[in-house]
Amino acid sequence: MRRDQNLAIIGAVVTGAVIATGLVMLLIARVSPQFGAGVRAAAVDVVTPLWSVVRAPFDGLGRGIDMASGYFGAVHRAEQLEAEVARLRARLQAAEADQIAFRQLSRLGRLENPQRRLVATARIVSASQGTAVQTALIAAGRNQGVRPGQPVIAAKGLIGRTIETGLGSSRLLLLTDPQSRVPVLVQRTGQAALVSGDGGPLLVLTDQAGPQDPLQRGDRLLTSGEGGIFPPGVPVGVVTDAAEPIRVRPAASPLGAGFVRIEAAYAALPATADTLPITDAPVPVEAQRVGGIKGTVRGIDAPAGGGQG
Amino acid sequence: MRGAAPPLRLMNPRERRRFWLGHWRLGLPALSVLGLLLLATAPLPLSLPLMPPLGLLGVFVWATFQPGLMPPWLAFLLGLVADVLLAMPFGVNATLFAAVAGFVRWFESRYGHHTHGFDWAMAAGVVAAHALLTAQLMTLASHPVPLAPLVLQWLTSLFAYPAVAALCGWLQRAVFGARTAT
Repeated sequence: MRRDQNLAIIGAVVTGAVIATGLVMLLIARVSPQFGAGVRAAAVDVVTPLWSVVRAPFDGLGRGIDMASGYFGAVHRAEQLEAEVARLRARLQAAEADQIAFRQLSRLGRLENPQRRLVATARIVSASQGTAVQTALIAAGRNQGVRPGQPVIAAKGLIGRTIETGLGSSRLLLLTDPQSRVPVLVQRTGQAALVSGDGGPLLVLTDQAGPQDPLQRGDRLLTSGEGGIFPPGVPVGVVTDAAEPIRVRPAASPLGAGFVRIEAAYAALPATADTLPITDAPVPVEAQRVGGIKGTVRGIDAPAGGGQG
Repeated sequence: MRGAAPPLRLMNPRERRRFWLGHWRLGLPALSVLGLLLLATAPLPLSLPLMPPLGLLGVFVWATFQPGLMPPWLAFLLGLVADVLLAMPFGVNATLFAAVAGFVRWFESRYGHHTHGFDWAMAAGVVAAHALLTAQLMTLASHPVPLAPLVLQWLTSLFAYPAVAALCGWLQRAVFGARTAT
């Protein structure tokens, strides 16, 4: 009897200790989010090949069905495509003229335009469903040059950015995750805003800046290129509900995306680092002052020198 | 594993060997929950977050079937794996899985074992509590999440529970023999 009681007490103590360990780990995760990054990278490398093998026959079947259905109505579609090619050719000529003008203006204005650089092309192996964190796995990792914090773009638009990289696979944070923030421009009005996820299938548009034109249903959103990760001009989504909260349907879905481009981060933050001591914690650009506490704030005070005179 | 075993120091070598080798049984619940966790990362062609928390259901089912084979420390380790596979901060599922295993063990030792229907209702309650606490712990790990997707998950887990219970019951009968099934 006494032994049973002792065993019960030991069991309760072990349970309590284990739960306490879990809570301590949570606090560690709060202080340093990079805690255990190596383990996570290894896990990504284990899971990704598994699902790429398991889903291969289903993908093959889907492709077969697509090809078979493609034969029906091929003539009709060819006619449609020819008409569209003629229309697009005219627009292409206009765009080429614009390109020339843009290059000349850039040279006049000494505008430095960072180039987009392709790091790798890979396929989306699985997009996680029903978890508190919305991520997807892609079959490209450190060996292909993928690093955390790089934009992932499908043919139809933005998918997300990489957060964990294994050797041959990576995990990316989808736009629908609550932690995701993408700076966007409204194509029709040029208004800047942020697009974030809330765990559901639709995105939320917040923090509109600039001219307060009311948005309309069907407005297209493009990345603005602010923030240094996402290149400008990538489709993000279409406004489906212009009333608050403004709802946005993502342009590209990770589920049917197939192959995606992983690009280098578009432009790192301006080089404030050489004049400042580097600390580990990320400091917002607005808070970085040149020459100590009493100095000027870069980008806010510094260009205002002419305004005083 | 059972209370009937004599104290370790009073065992003869043969009994001691049998005692330690008997721990292989822990591998079945562990491996089956690992399999369920992997299944939970499967690509579903749905735009809504509908995948039920299979790992949690597995831990719950094993804790009700064989409390001795799903001790809280094992649930804790499985929870760590769940955190890695589901890209959540370390400790969220680890804490909650261990709490679920501990809670079920305490509940059953106090109020006895129940019918399938009662367990099903209890699973619904446990998954709901898990969803609420997940949101809280994610906030504690400075990664706040909205509750709405977790509610959807709760609905699908209602339908997933019988399937997980059937799978674990079948595994238990197949590996340990028919007489151990409860």
